[in-house]
Amino acid sequence: MTVLGYLANGLVFSSIIVLGSIGLSLVYSIADFANFAHGDTMTIGAYSALVTFGAVGGLGGAVLGLPYGFFLALVVGIAVAAVVAVATEKLIYEPLDVDSIGLLITSIGIAFIYRAVIQIRFGSDFTRFDVRPLRPIEALVPYGVRITLHDVAIFGSAVALVVGLHVLLQYTDLGRKMRAMADNPDLARVSGIRTKRVKLWTWVIGAGLAGAGGVFLGLFNQLAPRMGFNLLLVIFAAVILGGIGSVYGAMAGGFLIGMINQLTPFFSNVVEALPIRPNWLATVIENMITIEYANAIAFVIMVVVLLVRPNGIAGEGAT
Amino acid sequence: MSEGALPKEDAVLRVDDLQKSFGGLAATDHATFAVERGTITGLIGPNGAGKSTLFNLISGFYEPDGGTVEVNGTDVTGMEPYQVAEHGLIRTFQTPRKLEGMTVREAMLVGPRKQPGESFLTLFTSPGTVAESESANLAEAERILEDFEIDHLATQPATDISGGQMKLVELARAMLAEPEVLLLDEPVAGVNPTLAKKLKDQIRRLNEQGTTFLLIEHDMEFVMDLADPIVVLDQGHVLTEGTPEGVRNDDRVIDAYLGGGT
Amino acid sequence: MSLLDDPKAAFADLSRPEGWVLGVSVAFVLFLFVAMLTGALGPTYFLFLVGLAGMYALLSFGLNAQWGFTGLINFSVAAFFGIGAYGTALMTASGSPIAGGFSPLVGLAVALVVALALALLIGIPTLRLRADYLAIASLGLAEVVRLIVLNERWLTNGSAGLRGIPGFFDGWPVLSTFPEAMPGLRLEVIPGSPVILETAFWQASLNVLLVLAFAGAAYFVLRRAHRSPWGRVLRTIRSDEDLARALGKNTYSFKMQSFVLGSLIMALAGVFYAHLNLYVGPGDLDPITTFYAWVAVILGGSGSNRGALFGGIVIVTIREGTRFLNDVALPIDPAPLRLLLIGVVIVAVMRYRPQGVLPPQRELIWPSAVGGGGTPETPDSGVRERKGGGDDE
Repeated sequence: MTVLGYLANGLVFSSIIVLGSIGLSLVYSIADFANFAHGDTMTIGAYSALVTFGAVGGLGGAVLGLPYGFFLALVVGIAVAAVVAVATEKLIYEPLDVDSIGLLITSIGIAFIYRAVIQIRFGSDFTRFDVRPLRPIEALVPYGVRITLHDVAIFGSAVALVVGLHVLLQYTDLGRKMRAMADNPDLARVSGIRTKRVKLWTWVIGAGLAGAGGVFLGLFNQLAPRMGFNLLLVIFAAVILGGIGSVYGAMAGGFLIGMINQLTPFFSNVVEALPIRPNWLATVIENMITIEYANAIAFVIMVVVLLVRPNGIAGEGAT
Repeated sequence: MSEGALPKEDAVLRVDDLQKSFGGLAATDHATFAVERGTITGLIGPNGAGKSTLFNLISGFYEPDGGTVEVNGTDVTGMEPYQVAEHGLIRTFQTPRKLEGMTVREAMLVGPRKQPGESFLTLFTSPGTVAESESANLAEAERILEDFEIDHLATQPATDISGGQMKLVELARAMLAEPEVLLLDEPVAGVNPTLAKKLKDQIRRLNEQGTTFLLIEHDMEFVMDLADPIVVLDQGHVLTEGTPEGVRNDDRVIDAYLGGGT
Repeated sequence: MSLLDDPKAAFADLSRPEGWVLGVSVAFVLFLFVAMLTGALGPTYFLFLVGLAGMYALLSFGLNAQWGFTGLINFSVAAFFGIGAYGTALMTASGSPIAGGFSPLVGLAVALVVALALALLIGIPTLRLRADYLAIASLGLAEVVRLIVLNERWLTNGSAGLRGIPGFFDGWPVLSTFPEAMPGLRLEVIPGSPVILETAFWQASLNVLLVLAFAGAAYFVLRRAHRSPWGRVLRTIRSDEDLARALGKNTYSFKMQSFVLGSLIMALAGVFYAHLNLYVGPGDLDPITTFYAWVAVILGGSGSNRGALFGGIVIVTIREGTRFLNDVALPIDPAPLRLLLIGVVIVAVMRYRPQGVLPPQRELIWPSAVGGGGTPETPDSGVRERKGGGDDE
């Protein structure tokens, strides 16, 4: 594959990571804890869409190789993820009398419950959406880019959702309140913002985007009960890279981490071509920068960022 | 800048030209002053004058952008808080720190520095030494609690006592660390008048026994009665220093408090 | 412990949850014992369960030394467990690609050294981080360890895992031949359903002995270390790290000590596991192990070693109970059921009893300093007199 090919794949994968990281970042700053159930919220979105799509079928026409029914399923996936997240907030998190570390631990329990329920209902095997697999777009193949119309749909939908969020954050009353709360929760409270309500909307938006990310992840790869949990750390890496609490940072971080993840094979080619001395170092590096370690690279980047710039790459640097 | 600063012969704490800014705003602006051994030095200033920042800089919690801090003649600038403490400077915090799951005397026992039992290996190689120092520290803790007339609280959970009592316990614990100079951050904030008086008496008594104090306090009556000299901080730099009487009658101080300090 | 010295007083001292836990545990053990005597539960399997409980108790002790004592959110328990297991397996297993054939004692030593190195490698960068960052970073680094074990075939045999691990006592005098040397016993408590104790049973009892030795040693070390000035500094860090720093404690060093200690105990659990299971694979580094340990610790009561022991037993009940349920009653895959139970227990504990069932109650003061009845006599040289502050009463 060519660089262009890897970049194209990276763009598609990044779209999914960005959708996941926005929600994680929003919840991190507004509900004030690291939500380890966020990945499994994505899984919920994916499986809800799977069930819906199975029930309604194609509904006639198709856009970008995807039947109308799939888009309906996408909307249902988003809605179910949001409803489940709000219900969890109302039933579990809100009544808790623990600090943010306690919430973090609780969220692991929630993650397991989500995943267990899905696994009991659907088994632990991989499944796929019942859409016809497409061939890569012919016109792009000569450039070494092998992406399908589905990939274009993923990218396009993600862009639409991100732009929608941007408009909401910048031009609506709710968005202003959310930004104020993310900046300074105490100040927001004393200045009369009904924080409980803003928090609920944060869950709706964060989980909804995660649900969409889950559906697209299922389309990009396949569905499995562990899909979300497996992606969780990559998403955390993105959020931390962008700086916790910054939605736009999370977008940038998600984009970068997604790109790095998909470009790993390309990097490994580059490393092989580089004259690295001594030889053992070259061997080690070549060995580590391989597709098997694509996720590991993201985690190591995350730890390095935490150490060097705890506020993210765009933040104010170490304190 | 430091005009009005009194000459100090035996300074236990010396702050020289200390600077710190956050996001371009100078929180501490070339602050210079010293604390004479054996005094109770007050640090006052209007809200936002940078008193707490200064405390954090001195005790090593913030790293200064410039300037130096000397404790007992040793340059401690840029050191970790525990290293600054090892040089004899102990601080308390504005909001009482609650220690979950600890009793009052247990919380007190964190105070003594360099306990043999704080070394993991010693616990197994020389348990006798640990037991000995532990007994001594416990007795000392109980004696200080008695001095402070709160010995009845010794086995109470540290989370169950009042905020004022917690302030007393904090002072008592800090004393167990045998400080050369003790920095108190608003010792009587939120404390009822009876306890506040008790705290004042204790600080005075401990001072007579040889401990130097530097204290931030908003309660003017309290600080004017207790401290001498008094350092006035405004917008991150030392406005003046003098006796309570002198400071009270200083127009610049009054201006600063009225918000016209510029 | 105190049960042996003064049983009556010990029982009178029990708080309600303690009595409750004790009652349930006793009833449960009796139930298992009866099941064993009637032949419903194989005695070898019973001992296997005891060994497993000991293993989870060890893991929980390790995590308790980190989270319970110091408040370190370590989500890399599985990595240390796996490193312990792989460390000894690589040295002792016949299928080891790098060494193999060494005595299990060498395996134990190597496992501990590797775990120490990993603890420093993970601890040095992450222990300076905020608590929640530590959680994320440690989970990420554990995943890196898992990926390395999975992919570096030349070192670990990759996904095939390591076979041919000897029992821990292989090659020891007496103990290595003990199971074969013991006669087969036939107990017939209930006529018609005899219980037969044979070589496998004696093998299993050796394993139980081993885990009891490991857990006993860990318990002894942790108990002494916790109720001491050292443990007190850790608890202060857990509540308020800044306070500990202001009082002159080098908190980074204390956190590192607590992290290393806990990691070594986790590796010990891994060593035991390798010689119990006689096979290790990358699946043993699955993050689920981490959260088993977490459930055990927060359920038992963070900071409480007894609680960790109790938590370990609960974990085995969840693990094996789901398997049992699947066999006899509900045709539900045990894996997600376990996950569900773990999730529900975590949420329920945080909701209804965040301090755990058996929260620590003792003051962290060196026992001999508070014990012995009454207040200790006034020391000859009080702290302040040494300083020469003129403190005459």
